[in-house]
Amino acid sequence: MEISEWNQIRIPLHLFCFSLHPLPPSVSHNDLALQLRIFHNNRLSQIDLQNVSKLATDITRLHAGHVQAQMFAVYVMCGAQEKDAVRLTLEQIDVVRRMCTEYQDFELVTSVQELTNSEMRRKIGCLISIEGGHSIDSSLAALRMYYQLGVRSMALTHTCNTPWAESSSKLYNVYQRQNNSLTHFGKAVVEEMNRLGMIVDLSHTSWDTALAVLKHSKAPVIFSHSSSYSICNHHRNVPDWMLHQLKKNHGLIMVNLHSNFISCRDEANISHVAEHFDHIKKVIGAESIGIGGDFEGAVRFPQGLEDVSKYPALIQELLHRNWTENELAYVLRGNFLRVFVEVERVIERHICTPCLGQRSELAIKTSSACIISLARGKYVILHIVFLLK
Amino acid sequence: MLSKFILALYLALGLSSCAASLAEDQHMTRALQLMSETPLIDGHNDLPWQLRKQFNNELNKVDLNTLETTHTNIPKIKEGRLGAQFWSAYVPCETQYKDAVRQTLEQIDVVHRMCQKYPETFMFATSSQDIMEAFRMNKTASLIGVEGGHSLDSSLGTLRTMYHLGVRYLTLTHSCNTPWADNWLVDTGSEPSQHNGLSPFGKQLIVEMNRLGMLIDLAHVTVKVMNQVLDMSKAPVIFSHSSAYSICPHKRNVPDDILKRVNETRGIVMVNFYNDYVTCSKTAKLSDVADHFDHIKKVAGVGIIGFGGDYDGVTRLPEGLEDVSKVPKVVAELLKRGWTDEEVKAALGKNLLRVLGEAEKVRDSLNGTNPDDVPIPYEEVKNTCRTSYGYPNAGPAHSLSTLALLLTLALQALIALTPS
Repeated sequence: MEISEWNQIRIPLHLFCFSLHPLPPSVSHNDLALQLRIFHNNRLSQIDLQNVSKLATDITRLHAGHVQAQMFAVYVMCGAQEKDAVRLTLEQIDVVRRMCTEYQDFELVTSVQELTNSEMRRKIGCLISIEGGHSIDSSLAALRMYYQLGVRSMALTHTCNTPWAESSSKLYNVYQRQNNSLTHFGKAVVEEMNRLGMIVDLSHTSWDTALAVLKHSKAPVIFSHSSSYSICNHHRNVPDWMLHQLKKNHGLIMVNLHSNFISCRDEANISHVAEHFDHIKKVIGAESIGIGGDFEGAVRFPQGLEDVSKYPALIQELLHRNWTENELAYVLRGNFLRVFVEVERVIERHICTPCLGQRSELAIKTSSACIISLARGKYVILHIVFLLK
Repeated sequence: MLSKFILALYLALGLSSCAASLAEDQHMTRALQLMSETPLIDGHNDLPWQLRKQFNNELNKVDLNTLETTHTNIPKIKEGRLGAQFWSAYVPCETQYKDAVRQTLEQIDVVHRMCQKYPETFMFATSSQDIMEAFRMNKTASLIGVEGGHSLDSSLGTLRTMYHLGVRYLTLTHSCNTPWADNWLVDTGSEPSQHNGLSPFGKQLIVEMNRLGMLIDLAHVTVKVMNQVLDMSKAPVIFSHSSAYSICPHKRNVPDDILKRVNETRGIVMVNFYNDYVTCSKTAKLSDVADHFDHIKKVAGVGIIGFGGDYDGVTRLPEGLEDVSKVPKVVAELLKRGWTDEEVKAALGKNLLRVLGEAEKVRDSLNGTNPDDVPIPYEEVKNTCRTSYGYPNAGPAHSLSTLALLLTLALQALIALTPS
């Protein structure tokens, strides 16, 4: 199917098993797994997720907010890059899998069909997303194995550059380079994600990297938790010219609710949030918008939107601003499903046996005390830097 | 008169030679017949390591139909009647405390891709049922064993995710201690014991492996570890590629008292063909390998025997067993030594199927037990390539790391105040 045909894809409203009053939200980004690591070292046995007062997310409030799916980020800190990022990522994937198995309210989902089924069963669908390409340690094999573990999207960077993509943040001074925002290997990562059916997420990437990806990806991409730069000029947000590129890609921007990205100040309210929705709708249309959330991944949220139970308040505000129920249905769920459907369709177009194994091990120049390299052709161990024992 | 005598002698020699060769042909015919009824399940093959060493895992640069630089290729697999194989996902001990986990994921990935590239030959498998299904379809069931606890980086979460990726056995150590288990070199005296067998976390790992249904492989561990695991495991254990210590007293082999314990606990010892473990010298013959089979049968019963050739993981193999196509000759030799059909079938695959089936039953009986979420104490694993994120009470350095985590989040929030 050609890109020009993508606008034919619509998810019929009758597939949505919800009542329109109040409208339930769609998939949004949530960092609960990070909090489980910080506060409990992933010891699920020490916590009851039905009610967790110190967090913005628990099962009771997810139900109250009529949330029916969350993209749980398996984020690991940038400080783990070139150290134990891969192991930490596996442990975050493990804690989300355990959480979504041990609690009957949750159900792990890895496809459009499963997401739809979980909604029918009134379960909260758990999608797994990686937040930062440092989790793959520049290995396409690791990417593939994460996919097999259920990961269905990956943000190419967090607040640190990887050897192959740039972050919007300068918090970490690593892999700085000029005019190479998405390297040859970075393009291979995007291609492999397209081939597997993993959604490419551009939140946290630099604008140059995002633009390069938008030109290279064969599938629609998302900004899983980013807002409008025109309304709040923060580097984590998306400028209008990028929104136009996203529109051409038939991608999705999922509005981040963190106050500092909404109002560019510590405080914000629902009206400020709604302005982002209004602006993006004006620039590229309601069919390109979703809800990003970012609960548990940030510390300040707008008055009236303090936790996951408050989503309906946002919907009410948009209704007051003359958003139609049809538009809201697509913002809540339909647009994300459309993207996910098309990402799955791209898998089918990519089925080609010769692709398997190509670029499985592109050479990546890294220097680290924590990597052992094997040169092709002979067994040579290069101790790049001595390890202090 | 003399000429008639000489003629008679020649005739007798000729006839006996024909008879011998006829008998050998009959044994081989019988062997191949038995191998068509019961799959040969081999416990350990390092082809994935060769794929990494020789081709950097770039499968598009190698054709397994014509590859000549390994003990294993597709025509040899077919000729050798290989019904099922545990492919080893091995990474060297040098990667411990560095990038062992990522490299292990790459080895797991290459097995998956090998099966996807050659679907007419391989069928990826994770259960006793899968093995039989592949056998019915005349394919080689392909399972994965991770060779060395260092691949887990002391993480139960990593163990569980590797199980989800299809790994069905873990060799607790390779030739290096982990932070929680001693390796066989300790028994040679060349390395000090760190844990007197298994540490408390090592014991947690055994319990978790039983819960998951992952086979515990005791090749490469100390005798102390063998005994501790045999004491505590609810499921039978395996030795994926070890031979009999009584025949060749190499510390990689299994002493008689352990063989008996394996029998009592209904486990399996899968005989390694590496010359150094077969004859304790650089050379060996096929009959030397068969001696190990005979010995284990005598001491502990035929119910614990299997095949664990270690092809593509070693450089010296017995005369007559140079590659995987030759394995039926071992079967023929056993028949020649008087093994019954049932005994041969037990060794070929029925014993392993029993062990795997029982591990699956133990898993099912433990369904509903919660996963173990107690991490290894930080002081047992700290090194320069490991962060301490999440450890709240691990001492000043680790509180500092958790503090660093929280500070970084706060700093990110602060940075968020500043538009670019």
